[in-house]
Amino acid sequence: MKQLFTLALFSLACISAGAQTNCDNAPVVTPGIHNVSFAQGSQAPLLMCFNALPGATALGAWYKYIPDNDYSVTLTTNVGGYPLSDTRLNVYSGSCNNFTCVAGDDDSGGSATSLVHFDVVQGTTYYFAFDNIYSSDDFVFNLTEQEFVPSLFTQRAISLQGTKWCIADMNGDYLDDIVAVEGNSVNLLTQNTNGNGFTPVSYQFPAAQNSPTWSISAGDYDKNGYNDLLFGSSGGASIILASSNNTGFSNVLDSPESIFSQRSNFVDINNDGNLDAFVCHDIAPNVYFQNDGNEGFTYHQGGLGDYGSGGNYGSIWIDYDNDGDIDLFIAKCRGGLNEAGIDELHRNNGDGTFTNVAAEAGLADLHQSWSAAWGDYDNDGDMDIMIGNSAGVYGDNSNLPDSLKQHKLMRNNGDGTFTNITSGSGFDTFTSSNLVHVAHDFDNDGYTDVFCGANTIMHNNGDMTFSPIVITAGSGPIGDLNNDGFLDIQNDNYIYLNSPNGNNWIKINLHGVASNRNGIGARIELYGTGQGWEKQIRDVKSGDGFYYMSTLNTHFGIGTLDAIDRVVIKWPSGTVDTIENPAINSALLVTEGTHVLGTKQLNATAFAVYPNPAKEVLNIKSVVSFDTTKASIYSIDGKLVKSATVQDAAIPVQHLAKGTYIIKVQDKSGKQYSATFIKG
Amino acid sequence: MKNHYILRTLFFLSVFIAISSCGSDDSQDYKQISPVNIDLSTVPYPKLSDYKFFEGEMKDLKPAYKVLPYDLNSSLFTDYAHKKRFVWMPEGAKATYTADNKILEFPTGAVLIKNFYYDNVLPNNTTRIIETRLMIKKADGWIFADYIWNDEQTEAFYSLSGGFTQISWTEGNVTKSANYRIPPESECFTCHKHSTTALPIGPKPQNLNKDYNYANGSANQLTRWVQEGYLTNNVPALITTTADWTDTTKPLELRVRSYLDINCAHCHSDGAHCDYRPMRFAFSETTIPANLGICVAPQEIINTSLPYIVNKRNAVKSVMRFRMNTINETQRMPILGRTVIHTEAVALIDAWINAMDAPCP
Repeated sequence: MKQLFTLALFSLACISAGAQTNCDNAPVVTPGIHNVSFAQGSQAPLLMCFNALPGATALGAWYKYIPDNDYSVTLTTNVGGYPLSDTRLNVYSGSCNNFTCVAGDDDSGGSATSLVHFDVVQGTTYYFAFDNIYSSDDFVFNLTEQEFVPSLFTQRAISLQGTKWCIADMNGDYLDDIVAVEGNSVNLLTQNTNGNGFTPVSYQFPAAQNSPTWSISAGDYDKNGYNDLLFGSSGGASIILASSNNTGFSNVLDSPESIFSQRSNFVDINNDGNLDAFVCHDIAPNVYFQNDGNEGFTYHQGGLGDYGSGGNYGSIWIDYDNDGDIDLFIAKCRGGLNEAGIDELHRNNGDGTFTNVAAEAGLADLHQSWSAAWGDYDNDGDMDIMIGNSAGVYGDNSNLPDSLKQHKLMRNNGDGTFTNITSGSGFDTFTSSNLVHVAHDFDNDGYTDVFCGANTIMHNNGDMTFSPIVITAGSGPIGDLNNDGFLDIQNDNYIYLNSPNGNNWIKINLHGVASNRNGIGARIELYGTGQGWEKQIRDVKSGDGFYYMSTLNTHFGIGTLDAIDRVVIKWPSGTVDTIENPAINSALLVTEGTHVLGTKQLNATAFAVYPNPAKEVLNIKSVVSFDTTKASIYSIDGKLVKSATVQDAAIPVQHLAKGTYIIKVQDKSGKQYSATFIKG
Repeated sequence: MKNHYILRTLFFLSVFIAISSCGSDDSQDYKQISPVNIDLSTVPYPKLSDYKFFEGEMKDLKPAYKVLPYDLNSSLFTDYAHKKRFVWMPEGAKATYTADNKILEFPTGAVLIKNFYYDNVLPNNTTRIIETRLMIKKADGWIFADYIWNDEQTEAFYSLSGGFTQISWTEGNVTKSANYRIPPESECFTCHKHSTTALPIGPKPQNLNKDYNYANGSANQLTRWVQEGYLTNNVPALITTTADWTDTTKPLELRVRSYLDINCAHCHSDGAHCDYRPMRFAFSETTIPANLGICVAPQEIINTSLPYIVNKRNAVKSVMRFRMNTINETQRMPILGRTVIHTEAVALIDAWINAMDAPCP
């Protein structure tokens, strides 16, 4: 064996003869095994095409590869029969003085060897650059070409300084931008209008007490048309308010007390049309900034997860009981097997209060979780849950039942309860424990998948079973970074562009008026026929998974469906917009109240106003009594123009200017209704 | 390591007798009383001076009668802050030894006093005491209290709200600075607990079994506590003892295990805040390599280049070293109590890992 190996090396040395000390003198290689040694004076590659550990590199070894056809290519330094070394590799295209990252890896090959898969284009020059950061020993690599099969995700490097945990539209064009925070700067890569690339822009904000060290969220807190940012750190939370003219950030709101922040969310907790800022507290009851509607807040602690020593990690706001208001689920985690680790589900009572109903829902488990991914995985019209398992079975956790030592898939029974259907679902055999779990339809087949970290998308097979698909990206913010309708993933300095597969899609962009500007908390329903489902649903949310903020735009994949029957937006205000036959493979912008069905189409018990148009008085028609409650009237651009007391189910409107308005009324139980009307 | 304790006891006894027999206030009918004032129904008091722990100028931290200074073999790193620790117990009350690796069973009314301060604070190279943290044992358990010192260093005021204070100082000719974290009560409890019960961390026989240079001479701390009437006289002669991790005459692994015990075990032990992760860093448990994370894969993947918690012979690809060498809030360890890197401890871990016998398989 040893003799054979020597011979092999000798013959390889002949094949690989020639300088390999820098990019310019890199020898050309073809598929096969090649010997690598680091020469003194060689040039170390500096551009890292993956999230490399920091550390200085001294020497490099360079190779050039020009494929004679389009291929999918594998390069590994783990080659049977040869000694293994702790290698590190970057693959570039471009020219020696202007590289473009193609791939990179440290240890994926096992035993500290490197392994990369990437797609190549005929005639293009690729550079393989190894460095000796961990070992200067000789090694070999094996280059193999396979039939071209497009990668699911294509890696691209980005250049942006700061903590890159957020994808959100920051300049009001509904295209997803990449947000970084560095000191007192927000550094943006704003997506170009054609979806092709980004334009950098940087803004300073006034000094804030907190940075996004534990989580970040985006939403239009001050309702001025530009998204604001919420930073959660171990010392507190800060809201960074964007100016109304897209010129940066003008104001900062700091929490008045220490918060050990975990997941944070923008959400309109009291449904007054203004987003509040909720922060999970690791070691105390949860807190929130209640928006005063005037760029200020009242700080609250209590009522939304009150366990004394916390345990709150992954908050996510969804409507689990389909009653039209937003509920709160908290994935919890805590050592010592105490109640701080029991997950909570806070049902919105519709009157500004919440009740923890986890026990009756079947979710009050002591399950060590940092996040839960909510989605209607079986497209039956209610939200199911995948609750991620963060931990192993050590110490006291060993005493837990087996069902709590793994990921959990819980089917919504439609009656406020959930059934554990993990067994046989694929989540029982996917044992990698993770912190971040999010629900998206990555392949636009009409069934929501779960991205689980560990480079794994659990693909929804459409029958409540899931299969792991390993991708090159790890957990990170998610959005459509090239406006092609397929959701992309960002990891620090790299974006991973999802390759379109021919499936159709639609994305819904919301402009709230009486509701919060982003439509956070809205339920979106999509109706279609012919794909095995009748309806898909999404709840618009700011802040899912754990650390990251993903797009506020709502994506639906519709498989091979070439037409959508209709899209229904159920806004937090109660307004319902219905869009018949929206165009597919494009974005649909819906302004609240602009697609409301006529009163004849509403059922008799619903809320309606008449006459419409109205001149003097607007009358309310409903089975509910609205006497001696407040009504708010908004202009179509979201400005509150009139507050009035409802007298005899009527409101005077003679002083309003002509135009379209939205009226919002709260009944005596606290439930809110709204409708659009025209002032004639 | 088992350290002898009984010989020191005998030695100390003789010294104690010699000193006490020629004390100036050793009058037959005069019994000295501790000035310390602890009324368990009204603590925590608004001011640190209310307790009367110290005599003379308070900032000199000169302990009053029956306020006994103590030290630990190795201590928690808190951004290079220096610490002076004291213990006080009501007359006639004493702590009970239960095991080398267990917190002494303290009597109701006992107070642990821990002062956090820096020397050579810029710009005038002065000493600045930042806070004095107390744990007071009431009948139904331990409570926390924290006293934040004023700029004049004349008084410290009760607060459990937490905060930050900027500090710059020189240490060994190097200027250092930190945004020092004063913990809120919720952070105190995060480390100082077993499940839902508040507990001290340091005063275990394994950490106390060392000599201390008292005002009247050097003595073993456990011996002195017994003499002071602060500890039952059932302490075994041999105690499995942690080392001073900075003592380079001690074996490397003993120093590492001692450092990890006091810096990490309060979260990574059964019943502690983070017992759902595989590490077990208590000194009594780290004789088992897997408990140290040696060749154990992490549950939370920070980077695919970090395959094991401790990757033998490869410190830079070890999760433990990576987490100790970062200030990133979601990655650093310990997660509380530190905002700067403890470079000397990182060097200790590097030396330990890189000298291991063979790489992980």
